[in-house]
Amino acid sequence: MSDFWVLVIKELKDLLRDKGLIFGIIIVPLIIYPALGQMMQVGFEQAQGETKVVLVNLDEGQYGELLIKALETAPNVTLTKIDALSIDDALEKAQEKDYNMIVIIPENFSKAIESNQKAMVEVYGIIKGISGGMREAVSEGRINAILTVISEYIAKLKIEQNMEGDPDAILKPIDAKSFTVIKGRVVAVPPSLVANLVAAQSISMPLVIFIMIMLVSQMSAGSMAMEKENKTLETLLTLPVKRITIVAGKMVGTAAIGIIAAIAYMVGMRNYLGSIMSSSGEIGISLEDLGLTVTPQGAALFVLIMFLAMVFALSFAMLLAVFAEDTKSANTVVSAGIMPLAFPTFILMFADLETLPVAIKYLLLAIPFSHPILASRAMLMGEYSTMYVSVLYLGVISTLTLFVTARFFTTEKILTAKISWGRRKKAE
Amino acid sequence: MPMVEVLNLEKDYGKVKALKGISFYINEGEIFGLIGPNGAGKSTTLKILSTLLRPTAGEAKIAGYDVVKDADKVRALISYLPEEAGAYKNLTGYEYLQFMARLYAKDRKKAEEMLELGVKLSGLGERLRDKVSTYSKGMTRKLLLARALMVEPKLAILDEPASGLDIINAYTIRQTIKRFAREKGITFLVSSHNMLEVEFLCDRVALINKGMIVETGTPRELKEKYDAENLEEVFMRTVGAKISEPVGGEGS
Repeated sequence: MSDFWVLVIKELKDLLRDKGLIFGIIIVPLIIYPALGQMMQVGFEQAQGETKVVLVNLDEGQYGELLIKALETAPNVTLTKIDALSIDDALEKAQEKDYNMIVIIPENFSKAIESNQKAMVEVYGIIKGISGGMREAVSEGRINAILTVISEYIAKLKIEQNMEGDPDAILKPIDAKSFTVIKGRVVAVPPSLVANLVAAQSISMPLVIFIMIMLVSQMSAGSMAMEKENKTLETLLTLPVKRITIVAGKMVGTAAIGIIAAIAYMVGMRNYLGSIMSSSGEIGISLEDLGLTVTPQGAALFVLIMFLAMVFALSFAMLLAVFAEDTKSANTVVSAGIMPLAFPTFILMFADLETLPVAIKYLLLAIPFSHPILASRAMLMGEYSTMYVSVLYLGVISTLTLFVTARFFTTEKILTAKISWGRRKKAE
Repeated sequence: MPMVEVLNLEKDYGKVKALKGISFYINEGEIFGLIGPNGAGKSTTLKILSTLLRPTAGEAKIAGYDVVKDADKVRALISYLPEEAGAYKNLTGYEYLQFMARLYAKDRKKAEEMLELGVKLSGLGERLRDKVSTYSKGMTRKLLLARALMVEPKLAILDEPASGLDIINAYTIRQTIKRFAREKGITFLVSSHNMLEVEFLCDRVALINKGMIVETGTPRELKEKYDAENLEEVFMRTVGAKISEPVGGEGS
C-alpha cells in the first residue's frame, strides 16, 4: 500500500470513530431535517382539516339558500346554522361549539342580487391563542373559493337571462395563453411557472454547495488542528513521507467524510423540503418537460467544477489551519477565512450574473465558490463554454492554493506560525 | 565519519536567541546525551536535527546529509520522539504501530517485522487492542517509544524519553536503549534534564546552558575534571552556580 493510502485510511479511521463528530455531521441532519419536515406537515395537515363554520342567515331569499347549499355540499366544510341577533352573540355561540369560522348572510342579501346591486357576506375567522391563524387562513380560502364559484354562477345566470352570446366570454372577454421559449424551444408553460421551478433549483443548489464547502473546510482544518492539539504533528512531519503526500492524504481523507456529511445533509434536506412540497402542492411540471436535461458532458463538467472548488476549499482551509493552535481556533480561522468567500455567492440565488454591475459581476467570478453555482445552471441550459472557462479558472487557482499549502508544510511555519489572540508568542 | 555533526548551529525565534552557535558530534552506535535545564536549547537542537526547524546559521549533518538540503534523506534515517508527543486517540495502540510501520517499511514483510517488534517493545499486551484515548500518560509514552525504536533507525532522537514514566518503566526503557545501541548499532541522541539518568545511560554527554554548550565528554571524564560526585555537580560547577547548603543542614 502506498504512503498516500496509508495516510487516507488512518484519517478515515480517526475521524469515523469520533462519535461526537459523526453524530453532529451525519446523524443530526438525517434525523433533524426530516423531523422538522414532519412537524411542518403536521401543522399543514391540522390546518387543512375540517373547516367548521357557524352560519347566521338573516336573509330570506333564494340566493341565501343557494349559498348555504353550496357551503353544505363543499368538501371539508361542516356547517351549523344558528340563530343570532348580533355578531357578539354569534361569536359566543361559535366559541361554545369550538368552531373557528362565522359566515353571516345579511338581511338584504338576495334583494341586492336581484336588483343588480353588490351583495356582501361577512366572514369571520376566530384565531385562538397561539395558533398563528394558519387554520383560519385555509378556512377563509375555502369559503372565498365557494363564494367565487357562486358569484360566477349567478353572473352567468344573469347574462343568460338578459343577453345573447357565450356568458363565459362576456364575463371574461380577454384571456391570455402563456408560453415560454427556453433554449430556443417553445413550451406551453407560463414563464412564471418556469421561474418558480428554476428558482427552486437555484436556491437549493447554492445552499447545498455552501453547506458542503463549509463542512469540508471545517473538517480539513479541524483534522490539521487536531494534529497540533494532540501533539502528533511533529512526529508526522519527521516520517519518511513526502510533505505533499501528507497534505494530499489528509485532504482526501477529510473530503471523503465531508462528502458523506454533505450527502447526509442533502438527504435530510430533501426529506424536509419534500414534506413541505407535498403539503403545499407541486408545480406539476419537471425540468425534463421544459427540455432542461443534463447531458453526460454537462454532468461531467459539473462534477469536475465541484471537485476543483472542493480542492480549493480544502487546501485553503488547511492553509488557514496552519495558523491555528487547536481545533477551536481552527474553526474560528476557517469561519473568518472561508465565510467571506462563500457568503457573496448567495447573491447568485436571487440575481442573474449578467444583470449585475460589472464590478460585482467580476468580483463574484473571482470567488471560486461562485462557479459551482453558475455551473449548476449552465449544466441545465447546456451552456458548456462558460463551464469550460470555470474549469480553467478553478484549475489554476486550486493548483496554486494547493501548491502554496504544500510549500507551507515544507517550512517550519507549520510548527511556529500562529495567530496570537491577544497573547504573546511562546518560544523556548 | 561521525553519525551526527553539528557545527556553529544558531537558532533565533524573533529576538530570542535559542541557540548561540553550538558544535558537537556523535559517533555511530554511541548514546549521546544533551543535558541542561529547561529552556537551555535542548529541544530546539533536537528539532533542527529532526528536520522540523531550520537553523538560522551553522550546519547540521546526519550520516553526511545536510538536515536542510537533504531533509528527505535525513528523515529516512531518523526516528524522532518529541517531549510532549501524543498518538491518534481514536486508533488502537496496535493500529497506531501498524500505521507507523507501514510508512517506514517499504514492503509488507518488513512492516510486519517492525510491528511485531513494536508490540513487544511497548509491553502493553492486550491493551494494544484498546483505543489510545483510554491510555494513561505512561502507557502512551511506552507506545510512542516502541514506535520510535521498532523502525530500527540509524539515529534515534529521543527528547526526554522517560518523561512521565514510573521508576520501573523508566529503568526498562533505559535498558532497552542500551541493548539497541549495543546489539543493533543504533545511534542515540537523548535529551534530558535528569542528569542522573543521563549519567547511567550515555556514553558521552554535552552540557548545554542558555543556548551554548559548556562542556562535552564522557561522564567519567567530566566528573574527574570537575572533581564531582555526579553530573549534576559537574553542571552546577560549569555554569558557575553557587550550591547553597540544604535547608536544615550544617549551615542552618
